[in-house]
Amino acid sequence: MPLTDKAIVCACEDVSVHDVEAAIAQGFGDIESLKRYTGLGTGPCQGKSCEAGAMRICQQRQAVPLEAQVPFRARPPGAPTALAAYAGIPFGAGPQASGLRPQGGLKPSWGKGTHPLLPKTALPEMADVVIIGGGIMGLALAWNLAAQGSQKILVLERGYLCEGASGRNGGGVRAQWTTPTLIELAKESIDFMGRFAQELGINVWLRKGGYLFLAHDAETVRRIEYGAALQKRHGLPTRVISPVEAQEIVPQLDLSRFVAASWNPDDGVVFPWPFLWGYADGARKRGVQVETFTRVTGLEVGDGRIRSVQTDRGRVAADRVVIASGAWSPTVAKLAGVALPNVPFRHEIVSSEPLKPFLGPLVSMLGSGLYFSQSMRGEIVGGMGDPQEVPGLNQTSSLRFLSRYARALTEIMPQVGDVKLLRQWAGCYDNTPDYSPVLGETPGVAGLLQMNGFVGHGFMMAPAVGRRMAAWMGGAQDEIFERFNLRRFAEGKLIQEESFIIG
Amino acid sequence: MRITLDGEAIEAQEGDTVAAALLRARITTFTRSIKYHRPRGPFCLAGTCGQCLMRVDGVPSLPSCQVRAQEGMICERQNAPLGLIDADLFRATDFLFPEGLDHHHLMVGSRVLGRVALEVARRLAGLGQLPAKARAAAPAELRSVALVVIGAGPAGLAAARAAAEAGEKVLLVEREARPGGAALLGIDAESPGSDWVTQQARAFTAAGGELLLEADCVGLYANEPEPPAHALVAVRKGGRLIVVAAGRVVVASGGASQPLPFPGVDRPGVYAARGLLALQAHCNLRVGTELLVLGDGKELVDCARALRRAGYQLGRVVALGGERPAAPDLDVLVAQPVRALGNPVRALELAVGPATQRLRCDALAIALSLAPLHGLASSAGATARWAPALHGFPLEIDADGRTAVPWLFAAGRVAGLGGAAAERSGEAAGQAACR
Repeated sequence: MPLTDKAIVCACEDVSVHDVEAAIAQGFGDIESLKRYTGLGTGPCQGKSCEAGAMRICQQRQAVPLEAQVPFRARPPGAPTALAAYAGIPFGAGPQASGLRPQGGLKPSWGKGTHPLLPKTALPEMADVVIIGGGIMGLALAWNLAAQGSQKILVLERGYLCEGASGRNGGGVRAQWTTPTLIELAKESIDFMGRFAQELGINVWLRKGGYLFLAHDAETVRRIEYGAALQKRHGLPTRVISPVEAQEIVPQLDLSRFVAASWNPDDGVVFPWPFLWGYADGARKRGVQVETFTRVTGLEVGDGRIRSVQTDRGRVAADRVVIASGAWSPTVAKLAGVALPNVPFRHEIVSSEPLKPFLGPLVSMLGSGLYFSQSMRGEIVGGMGDPQEVPGLNQTSSLRFLSRYARALTEIMPQVGDVKLLRQWAGCYDNTPDYSPVLGETPGVAGLLQMNGFVGHGFMMAPAVGRRMAAWMGGAQDEIFERFNLRRFAEGKLIQEESFIIG
Repeated sequence: MRITLDGEAIEAQEGDTVAAALLRARITTFTRSIKYHRPRGPFCLAGTCGQCLMRVDGVPSLPSCQVRAQEGMICERQNAPLGLIDADLFRATDFLFPEGLDHHHLMVGSRVLGRVALEVARRLAGLGQLPAKARAAAPAELRSVALVVIGAGPAGLAAARAAAEAGEKVLLVEREARPGGAALLGIDAESPGSDWVTQQARAFTAAGGELLLEADCVGLYANEPEPPAHALVAVRKGGRLIVVAAGRVVVASGGASQPLPFPGVDRPGVYAARGLLALQAHCNLRVGTELLVLGDGKELVDCARALRRAGYQLGRVVALGGERPAAPDLDVLVAQPVRALGNPVRALELAVGPATQRLRCDALAIALSLAPLHGLASSAGATARWAPALHGFPLEIDADGRTAVPWLFAAGRVAGLGGAAAERSGEAAGQAACR
């Protein structure tokens, strides 16, 4: 069989010139979007042989202005490096190798000031609804809201689609939650993810390999038993299983590290990015204006109402403004003089080299916060929370994380010691004091709506939250917008429900 | 010495990498590509491209051009179902999707077909199999020095030597088994050569500097805002990490050979010109007798001449673009590549003005200017910007080699400075980094 005449740009991921041109034609010409849409630069060479070739094509096609001709964000490691090597770093000892300090987030690669890709066109002078944040929450809301009729809806995103936490999460989706509300939101969302391709025309690769929560002590076993019983009442097939049964699902697990496991075979993993592209595309088709690389600089409040949104592209008058800005929500709310109790925390993730399929479920170790799964591309993608993490909008990557993650992962699954890590990154969790979201009206500022505070699991709830929020904004009754209202913090009525947050 | 490839014995010579041993045995297909199962062989021969990954002694996806061959080593080619590397049925994907596979919109119309696509894609995904054996944590070494210099090519050597002579405690980290980098390839008459390398390395160690060979810097992280440990440098050596807390860092990581995206450039038998020069210099091996060289500018002329000196019989030297290089000693043809043909490559089809011409060869070398390896420095906050003339993203530095990060300096090719300028920039950065 002769070879076809493909002009390969990225040999690691088999990306052709045709693929790159098609992506540019579809509006993914900025290098970060191009990387995510085509997959170029995400293979074992990490872009060393394709980044320049891709930029040559962008330059020839005049895809982006000169100031935006920067490389995509380089992600450590500089070369594929084995988990066993990282696992040998004795972190936690002494400040000299702390690598822990927040650095205020990475500077944008284009330097100071407005984004070089800031669109030249003016924004509309008014809109019925302005949604601040083009993450999955805001876009899911926009798509659902637009189905109701002729409202003028504007979504503002300060970077490219996928720049925030929606583009930085590990892609795990589960219904195994321990509160009725979260179980129902997740169930509906996962069900929607299963038909996302038909509804919105793009694959999200929902692979239902299950979620396996490992419990290391009696107290954690009690918690998973409580959770499994609750989930059973909500129609989920969750079971508490023995280590031996867990090993039948994942043969590489070290049985000495856990005493029981909670297993739901219907949970799974997705590929997060296409959700944003799909929702944005679907919303646009319904008349929504989705504007990227546009920064919100002010919120105007008058007579107890939201009046307008100021941006670096001008002012937009609006009756209703939704803050769906994830970890940046407190920063945005502050522009209207509103204090949110949300606190941003960095969360780090790393992806391994692509391996042939061997790992079905997402596995999570409840004591340490370690979790990992195998993506559709074959990479082991995982993360682990850090009790020493300090609050802040920090998206830098640390060596400390790689060491802690590698140690925890090689302990529970020693056979991956020689698997090499390829790419680490960080995103921000949007934490609240009671680990529950902030939804609905803002006390004192009519028309300013909250849709944030999802503590790192908003992605897997978004399809359902977006639908319900749209219905509620259209006049339907829905108790979650009362129960999770911002006023609960002032009134001291925090949500008293147990939930396990991983990572 | 003998190694095995998919169970067959291969004779290797002392000093061979696995890639060199296989090429010596005229094996050019090293793997099947991830999506279309196209045959692939080594390209850069310098550990940057990912086209020669192979399973070695039960460990998946190792760059065979960087693994030293050892007696009894077991090498296996990857992504070839049933082990049929030469008769891989999944090659069909290449034909079914001649333009490219748009995985985003594949089978989106039907939930049932979507599930089928998911199951098929899942089974085809990935490259290597899980490692055969468990491996425990390899204890890391923690160290502390004033200055780390990354890369012992012309710029790095000059920087390290200058800093050591100024009295600084310097650790010089080099990925290869010997210092010198590009200076050892004899490419550029103006640049320092191997005698200069020996002399610099000697002066560096005499001044108290420490040279760490076969040590790959894999991470550069901002650490403490106050001195003396601004940076954490993760260096991989022999399966372990050395974590170095450093006051300052000079990045002289050089550049990476680039392929030119035209049809067939990914076929076995297409190599980076510098890769072939390194293969000859370090393993005394040439890959063919009739070599075509394709590229542009000074790099093309320099590499073509160096390849001829290295013993290759050159066919036409194909210059891209409009300007004909002034090299009367070379048989230069100004043309654009249309496609490469054969496995391994046996011919190159060219557009010469309005006409098409086909040139025979038994290997094709690409000589484009190296893309700066900015990743380590830019991941730590240094700025890199597109420079069309360099086909890459050099780091922005001032005259002293300073980047946007106070503790981070850069010199040489990574900052867009090759040849003699690399050495000068190294010296300046080395001196500035001790002030």
